Amino acid sequence: MSENSAETRELTMSRAMVSAIAHEMRENDEVFYMGEDVADYGGIFDSTEGLREEFGYDRVMDVPISETAYLGAAVGAAQEGMRPIAELMFVDFFGVAMDQIYNQMAKNTYMSGGNVSVPMVLTAAVGGTYNDAAQHSQTLYGTFAHIPGLKIVVPSTAYEAKGLMHNAIRDDDPVLYLFHKRLMGIGWLPAPDGPKTPVPETDYTIPFGSADVKRTGDDVTVVTLGLHVHRALSAAEDLAEEGIDAEVVDLRSLVPLDTDTIVESVEKTGNLVVVDEDYRSYGVTGEIVASVADEALAALDSVERVALPDVPIPYSRPMENEVVPDAEDIAAAVQRTQ
Amino acid sequence: MSGTDDRVPVTADEWADDADSDEGIVANWFVREGSTIEESESICEIQIEKVSIDVLAPVSGTLSEIVKGEDDEFERGDTLAWITPDG
Repeated sequence: MSENSAETRELTMSRAMVSAIAHEMRENDEVFYMGEDVADYGGIFDSTEGLREEFGYDRVMDVPISETAYLGAAVGAAQEGMRPIAELMFVDFFGVAMDQIYNQMAKNTYMSGGNVSVPMVLTAAVGGTYNDAAQHSQTLYGTFAHIPGLKIVVPSTAYEAKGLMHNAIRDDDPVLYLFHKRLMGIGWLPAPDGPKTPVPETDYTIPFGSADVKRTGDDVTVVTLGLHVHRALSAAEDLAEEGIDAEVVDLRSLVPLDTDTIVESVEKTGNLVVVDEDYRSYGVTGEIVASVADEALAALDSVERVALPDVPIPYSRPMENEVVPDAEDIAAAVQRTQ
Repeated sequence: MSGTDDRVPVTADEWADDADSDEGIVANWFVREGSTIEESESICEIQIEKVSIDVLAPVSGTLSEIVKGEDDEFERGDTLAWITPDG
């Protein structure tokens, strides 16, 4: 491919994810992928499209519908030195394999006194906005960021998706890689403008714990992740017309959390708005606000939290649209800080 | 005057096997107008009844015009874009 097209080629988030996985599988025979409908179907959200054709069924495996069995197998394979990537089709299904995730994957390094590490990646589709109801629309960021022993990453664009995936596969600890369905660039589930970006053909890593300032501004700091990076950027454009200059911070990873970048921004703007697609209580919004209060209480003039209310996510389109924060909700919260 | 006439149309030559429909939708463009592209490179993705197919560049050159943008519907055989070949 020519220099020019390598620089200007744009990928959807799903294709960027797959390109990182394929690169790592070519470089390292220990990397393999397993999950439900990941081989012949290519992942129901295109997370493995084309991998089975290149690498075959031994390294891209469809598994029986037992999350406990195959996530347990992934933990065991990782402890024996392989680098499994196991996909939970919807993050909502974690409950049936909670022991494997919470007690084995997250804790076996500690429980073995450091005799084993668990270099696996658990991928899962997250998020709503397409009327799939309460058991298929959650993000559950807080549920996983809460437990010690797991690293949690959430890409917002194709560029992030590839760099974070390279870093996740090479990490010697378990990483939860949560990709938002609405950002993948699937034909039947169109993405907003933004997640499709130029992506280098070569490999590169994005270190965990490095938040990215997606838009600079002096009046308010909007901290968010995943789909809501794009909704916050959209709100910031509208707010700019009113003369309010918002800074948008994309967390990119929840664990480790880049508190420094958030605090630095809040010390400049004085106002903090945290936007999350997870439930409001005991979650990301509360944690970010508390972290900033710990470090820089005096810098905070005002705080707003924009998150899902503590209700099951409705199936009905107008009702789901009401509870999932949109750009207008973010703009309204920003206006309340001014 | 020959510039425009030399352009090569990009069409969806491959069609979904089981599709009843002769209509598709453009899901994603991977290159922008003015980009240099190589023959056989995937330049866009179309959807026919939820089946996703990559459209490959018929020749190397410059993507001079996108006729059907993202989310646009088209009929089988329609020109999706024009490529001005190298040379």
